[in-house]
Amino acid sequence: MLKKHPLITFIFFGVVLYLISNRLDELLVYQGATVGIFVIAIASLILLTGYSGQVSLGHGALMAIGAYAAALLRIHYNAPVWLTFVVAVLAAAVGGALLGLAAARLSGPYLAGTTLALAIGLPSIANQFSIFGGEQGLSFDIGFPPASLGEDFTQYKWYFWISWSAALIAMYWLRHVLNSRYGRSWRAVRSNDVAAELAGIHVGRNKVLAFTISAGLAGLAGALLGMTISLVSPGVYPLLLSFSLATGAVLAGVTTLGGVMIGAVILVAIPEIALAIANRYGGSETIITNLPGLLVSGLLILTVLLSPNGPVEQMHARHAKRAKSGKASHSPVELTLRVGSKTWSTKK
Amino acid sequence: MSQFLDMFLIGISAASIYALMAISMVLVWRSTRVVNFAQAGMALLSAYIGYELVSRTGNFWISLPLAMILGAAFSAFIEFFLMRTLLKHSNQGPIAAIAPIIATLGLLGVIRAVIGFIWGHGDVQLEAPLSKVGYKFGDTTLFIGPMGLFVICFVVALLLVVTIVFQKTNIGLALRASAYAPEIAQLSGIRVSGIRTLGWAIAGAAGAAAGILQTVNGTGGLTPESLEFSLLLVFGFIAAVIGGLESLPGAVLGAVILGLVLAFVQIYISGTLVFIVAFILLLAVLILRPQGFLGSKAGRRA
Repeated sequence: MLKKHPLITFIFFGVVLYLISNRLDELLVYQGATVGIFVIAIASLILLTGYSGQVSLGHGALMAIGAYAAALLRIHYNAPVWLTFVVAVLAAAVGGALLGLAAARLSGPYLAGTTLALAIGLPSIANQFSIFGGEQGLSFDIGFPPASLGEDFTQYKWYFWISWSAALIAMYWLRHVLNSRYGRSWRAVRSNDVAAELAGIHVGRNKVLAFTISAGLAGLAGALLGMTISLVSPGVYPLLLSFSLATGAVLAGVTTLGGVMIGAVILVAIPEIALAIANRYGGSETIITNLPGLLVSGLLILTVLLSPNGPVEQMHARHAKRAKSGKASHSPVELTLRVGSKTWSTKK
Repeated sequence: MSQFLDMFLIGISAASIYALMAISMVLVWRSTRVVNFAQAGMALLSAYIGYELVSRTGNFWISLPLAMILGAAFSAFIEFFLMRTLLKHSNQGPIAAIAPIIATLGLLGVIRAVIGFIWGHGDVQLEAPLSKVGYKFGDTTLFIGPMGLFVICFVVALLLVVTIVFQKTNIGLALRASAYAPEIAQLSGIRVSGIRTLGWAIAGAAGAAAGILQTVNGTGGLTPESLEFSLLLVFGFIAAVIGGLESLPGAVLGAVILGLVLAFVQIYISGTLVFIVAFILLLAVLILRPQGFLGSKAGRRA
């Protein structure tokens, strides 16, 4: 259904989310909003890495650019909320285009190092100019939900609505772009830039364009993240955020957008899991502060070692292999359970 | 005049530490074609180990070489168990280009978390063994004292040792050969995989020295999230890139250039601009002279 009627699928997904949001308690709604934000941010990274073959360890910095632009506009001009998000996208896209101009000339480790330098240095830039509010940052208040939504419509639910509408629109649009001429050009550049150039694709221009779009999406995610905590400060966009996004993209599988939910849910769930584990083993301060980092990083290393192209891609590859060897299974779902030497399988 | 002298001394003492960091990145890059983003984490771990050794033995002069040996062992361990498996498994698909980067980032996170588990998040003090009060000539006080002088001399001595090893010994020849042409080196009977591990080990030792010297020459405080160490990573990387990421003399040259430029900005313009200037310098070098000042031409552009 997704292949034939993407719009219907996305609307269906939106309705499901709406129904879900009415049944969840406050904390889960809030976390759901964060999942939506991570979906956008991880998708922007997948677009960059999986489709155009560039690396960024500084997407946290691009998110911050978008968020600061939105907050400044809101504070100084009291702009409407939707406009602040549009400006966040534009500001981050401009930053991304500038960075992309340099990035298009760089390969793997050089680009990674340059974007990493940006992510590390961003706080010092924010502290340099008083307009950015230093360590304390700026407040970013989008106000209460409109009264027409009813008395018991909470603030968190409002965040949930905004971030998921943004996520669904962004994903729908992104899917469209990736299936268009541009998406095909990016994939061509990624697989073989010499061949792409011979086929008439302007490699440099395509890379800059990919970086710009990716940065714009990151800026949107950054503004949304600032919205959920009503604050935009260097501490909201730490280096760890950039690393978490890279982790999410790798866990989701950088080659397809399909796994993006997996990455986003894992990123939000890990602190909760870590807290649960920590509480079980005494709940000391050191465990609570260090376990999330350890889980994220450990998972990252394990994924790169065991399933480098992500779970979705691995599943596709397995399907392709089976189809090739002429043993294509008729059942769409196949389960294999293995305990010790015994194996149960739905496969005949 | 005294301001100028100060600038020069600040620049050189910072450059000596950047040089160690840059050298460890260059060595890792030459041996496995990986930029090790966990290098700062490994240096931080070594600094903590140095702290632990100092508090156990009470002697900084024994602890420094011991911590360097442990740093080398840890680095070799990482190459042997993590990087070898990784480079064997993730060598196809779009992930191949970024797998090593992602893996070293994961390693950085693991190291930080482990440091947090063992030593906690409080400030740990690694005291300088020598006085940091500047030397006096007449009525002018120089920026560096015995500690700063020791750092510079120690780094220069290390650089001499590394140069001699690389230029005059068989092991150095093997290291250069496997970096330059791994297949041919292997055909000539060099055990390339072992040499790679050795390259990582030397890098680990240099990184450990950089971590400890950076700490004792600075405030002496250590925390797992130390921004100083993140900056050490970035500045080491920038120095290595200025030099071309391939060449050891280039790394030292890059460190000296970076150190002097940053000191100039710090003294004459503003201390808070240091990072932005370093970033612009990095971009300028990458765009104007992508092969670095002493690097080979190929292999840089995308």
